[in-house]
Amino acid sequence: MKKILIIEDDEFLQGLEATKIKNSGYEVITALNGEDGMKRISDSKIDLVLLDLLLPNYDGFQILKKIREGELNKDIPVIVFSNLSEKSDINKANELGATKFMIKSNFSLEELVEYINKILIK
Amino acid sequence: MKDTEGLIVENENLKKIIKDRSDFFSITAHKLRTSLTALKWTLRMFLNKDLGNISDEQKKYLEKLIENNEKSLLLINDMLISNRENNNSSVKLNVTNINIIELVEKIIFIFYGELKNKNINLILNKDENSKLQVKCDEEMIIGVFENLIENAIKYSPNGGEIKISIKKDEKSNGVLISIQDNGIGIKEEDTSKIFSKFFRAPNAIEKENTGSGLGLFTTKSYVDKNNGSIWFESVKGEGTTFFVLLPTD
Repeated sequence: MKKILIIEDDEFLQGLEATKIKNSGYEVITALNGEDGMKRISDSKIDLVLLDLLLPNYDGFQILKKIREGELNKDIPVIVFSNLSEKSDINKANELGATKFMIKSNFSLEELVEYINKILIK
Repeated sequence: MKDTEGLIVENENLKKIIKDRSDFFSITAHKLRTSLTALKWTLRMFLNKDLGNISDEQKKYLEKLIENNEKSLLLINDMLISNRENNNSSVKLNVTNINIIELVEKIIFIFYGELKNKNINLILNKDENSKLQVKCDEEMIIGVFENLIENAIKYSPNGGEIKISIKKDEKSNGVLISIQDNGIGIKEEDTSKIFSKFFRAPNAIEKENTGSGLGLFTTKSYVDKNNGSIWFESVKGEGTTFFVLLPTD
């Protein structure tokens, strides 16, 4: 079973995301802040990261940078899933190597799972 | 001399107040979006029976709630556009070469959910030169196409069709982008007011009662600032095509 790490500081949103992804046949592990998120990427074998941007400790941009610089798991797919929608934020995440940038409020959880499926089937 | 110094200090204070207000606005909008997203996902889980069976009557109420929630999300988007417009009014343009096909494709992706929900078929006709560039402020051009595509979706019927075409305009040496929908169209008496601030056509309000009336005003202002042109052709009840001509040098 493929394993997905959700790094999301809003417990309620994290719970909804985790439930939907688990029910779609994935194993899910979670982190509520940047530091814990990075620890989990180094500790476990993860197939995809669902990454929020505004996080306590380290923010999503810092985590993405660390992943792509090879300190963690360099080639892992990372879906940035945030409600930030300014062009500067989207560009920054794309430049840092986000696999996909999705604005949370524009997508349903079914659509999120569709994208996860697409990425992991490749 | 003292008066001038006083004015400079006062000007700096005002700039700071405007910036603080704008930052507060962005943070609030972000928090509101997060709460409404939680509501959207939870309601959909109920509707999809992920949380147990529901009756037909409960289903009807849930659908209504989802619809209203989506309207609130659209309003927040409008508020963010308006905030961006206020910030940009005195800001220098950041003009760069933009791959316009790539940019429009990225924006279409943002609306993947809405297109799917309304079962709208979006056809993109691209120029054979896939590296077609325009010379504009990217942030503003994103605002232009986000707004035009969002409107095309909003005012199209379920199962409708949107055609986007991007091609080189030999006459002006610019790039011409058109967005055609088969939606409600614009009444002839409203055509002169469509780009006015806070104007919303009566048939648009009837179809979609939320909206600030700032979308097309902002869109035109962004196009003008980038030395482009925007115009439209419309037949009430049959649809509208917006044309945007952008410079390449």
